[in-house]
Amino acid sequence: MFLQTLITGLSIGGIYALMAVGYSLVFSVLNFSNFAHGAVIMLGAYVGLALATKLNFGFGLVLAGSVAGAGIIAVLNEKLAYSSLRRRKAPSLYLMISAMGCAVFLENLVYATIGSRFYAFPEFFGRQVVTIFGSSVSLLDVGAFIFALIAILGLHLFINRTRTGTAIRAGVCDMTMCSLMGVDLNRLIAIVFLLAGAFAGVAGVFLGIKYLVYPTMGWVTNKAYIAAVIGGLGSLPGALAGGLILGVVETFVSTYISSVLRDVFSFTLLIAFLVWRPNGLMGIDSEEKV
Amino acid sequence: MRRIVALLVALLLLVLAGSAFAADIIKIGHTVSLTGGASMWGQSEARALDMLLKKINESGGVLGKKIEFIRYDNRNDAVESVNVARRLVSDGVVAVIGPAQSGNSIATAPVLEKARIPMVVTTATNPYVTIDQKTGKVRPFAFRPCFIDPFQGTVAARFAITDLGAKKGAILYDVGSDYGQWLAKYFEEAFTDKGGTIVAKEAFRTDELDYRAQLGKIKDLAPDVIFIPTSQKEAAMAAKQARDIGITATLLGTDNWGSPDLIELGGSAIDGGYFVNLTDLADPDIQDFVAEYKAAFGEDPVLPNPVMAQDALIMIVEALKTAGTTDGDKLAEALANLSGIKVTSGVLTISPEDHNPLDKPAVIQQVDVANKTFKFVKKYVSVD
Repeated sequence: MFLQTLITGLSIGGIYALMAVGYSLVFSVLNFSNFAHGAVIMLGAYVGLALATKLNFGFGLVLAGSVAGAGIIAVLNEKLAYSSLRRRKAPSLYLMISAMGCAVFLENLVYATIGSRFYAFPEFFGRQVVTIFGSSVSLLDVGAFIFALIAILGLHLFINRTRTGTAIRAGVCDMTMCSLMGVDLNRLIAIVFLLAGAFAGVAGVFLGIKYLVYPTMGWVTNKAYIAAVIGGLGSLPGALAGGLILGVVETFVSTYISSVLRDVFSFTLLIAFLVWRPNGLMGIDSEEKV
Repeated sequence: MRRIVALLVALLLLVLAGSAFAADIIKIGHTVSLTGGASMWGQSEARALDMLLKKINESGGVLGKKIEFIRYDNRNDAVESVNVARRLVSDGVVAVIGPAQSGNSIATAPVLEKARIPMVVTTATNPYVTIDQKTGKVRPFAFRPCFIDPFQGTVAARFAITDLGAKKGAILYDVGSDYGQWLAKYFEEAFTDKGGTIVAKEAFRTDELDYRAQLGKIKDLAPDVIFIPTSQKEAAMAAKQARDIGITATLLGTDNWGSPDLIELGGSAIDGGYFVNLTDLADPDIQDFVAEYKAAFGEDPVLPNPVMAQDALIMIVEALKTAGTTDGDKLAEALANLSGIKVTSGVLTISPEDHNPLDKPAVIQQVDVANKTFKFVKKYVSVD
């Protein structure tokens, strides 16, 4: 049972991490919690679902389409709801309120247009189960976990090894200075949202396949937010570690203590971190984040 | 002065005209989930009721008056259901149809009881819809045409033991739902009573998505059957996750599984699962209704709500006829003594003791993913 619990925990944690990355990216640059991220994940899932059911696309194309779709939606979201606030140098609290508004707006938009019913993705891979020492895990979960690790690693390399990545890191340190040095801030922020959106697209498809697609599915991101806080808001390795830790802790609490107390533990963890270690495990200090 | 008098007279005439007009109409409230997770059934229920109401009004209505529905969306939410009930009371309805869910019905009952307006719920199967849990006495204004959960839980347990040959059972249920909590209890009692053992009883919270921690525990105890008294959404997710971690036990559910999208949502994981339901599309008693509905709307009704809602309307109409008045107390008395009336689902007699129907049958259906249908397996009229 221990091993089964650990495997399940890691598999849940992988998806948390994937979602937490989107929070952390935006937080590191604009210094606010983008609560609309969950809605972008939800829309990404709907984009993938439309491609899979209406156009009968295979898994690869569905994932690519969802990544592109959610990326564009995230950029549009920034352009429409945040950029004017940003230009007027509004405090980050205003951005956060705007983000919450966006989340509710997008959710209700889906209610009004697509409706409230539940959808499931077609079964891309059948139900294959891998057994390790008597503990089972579906092949899809293993695949999703590895994919999440590679994607996060890829993003990490992108930010540390490329010119654009350097610009993003510079922006994290000092936006004004960065723009004085000739970096186009609007473009830079658009890229950050595009990346966060792309991760939202991946998370949306995985969530949709694993669970179901419906308007309020984005709310599961409050767990991703906890994961981001545990890891240190703004830190990518932190988002990964935070996601995995949260997934494993939750599953162990559910299995060995009580499944009903699971969220009590999760949110206690959030409060504890905010009180005693607001920078999380890996957020070194607020000067250097990504 | 004269102008004021004229105005008052005009106003008086208007009020008289209004009330004279209103007197020709009997208002029946309908509280239903037109949006939210249960909207699929709610929409179908509303259509079936309108269809039947048209026929009743065309053949002269009841007590020489036409019936009109006052319909509000309760969004499958207990707080909203109470608001809807208050609105219906102030709208002056003589009786209420709905809600469909046990939790919402239990929330609605006290409001209507205070206003002395009878309610006939459609598919709320929890015993405490018609019985006040605090006093243990029957709620004088609450009625239903559907079977109740102790019966449903017993049917499920008996089917598991005698037909599936199960000895060890496990339960996965939603701790935030009245429906799930009580059914888990009734199933456990009946299963143990009939010689089985419940090896695991695991709960999750409403809106939770991942049950693999609970299922992992269940897997270790190797039950023959897992009882999942939830709606089709949770059942589909639980089935997928159970199969993902290598559980092969038979899955057994309740009437809330019976939604056509169960197959789409659960896919191959839910194939072969059994569940208890109130009606079956293949039930010979409802073929006329199914054909009529299909002709009108071009699709099958989303069972069982449309059938149960029609039963509820027929109950109210029959009670109005016997009571001969729209007075709430007399109407409730008539409802409590309905006997042998013909309803859409068959013939109905209400027990005056607990306001539940006597001998309402339950069917067992099996999920057949390849043919995208629920196969009729068995019908229980009683479980003695």
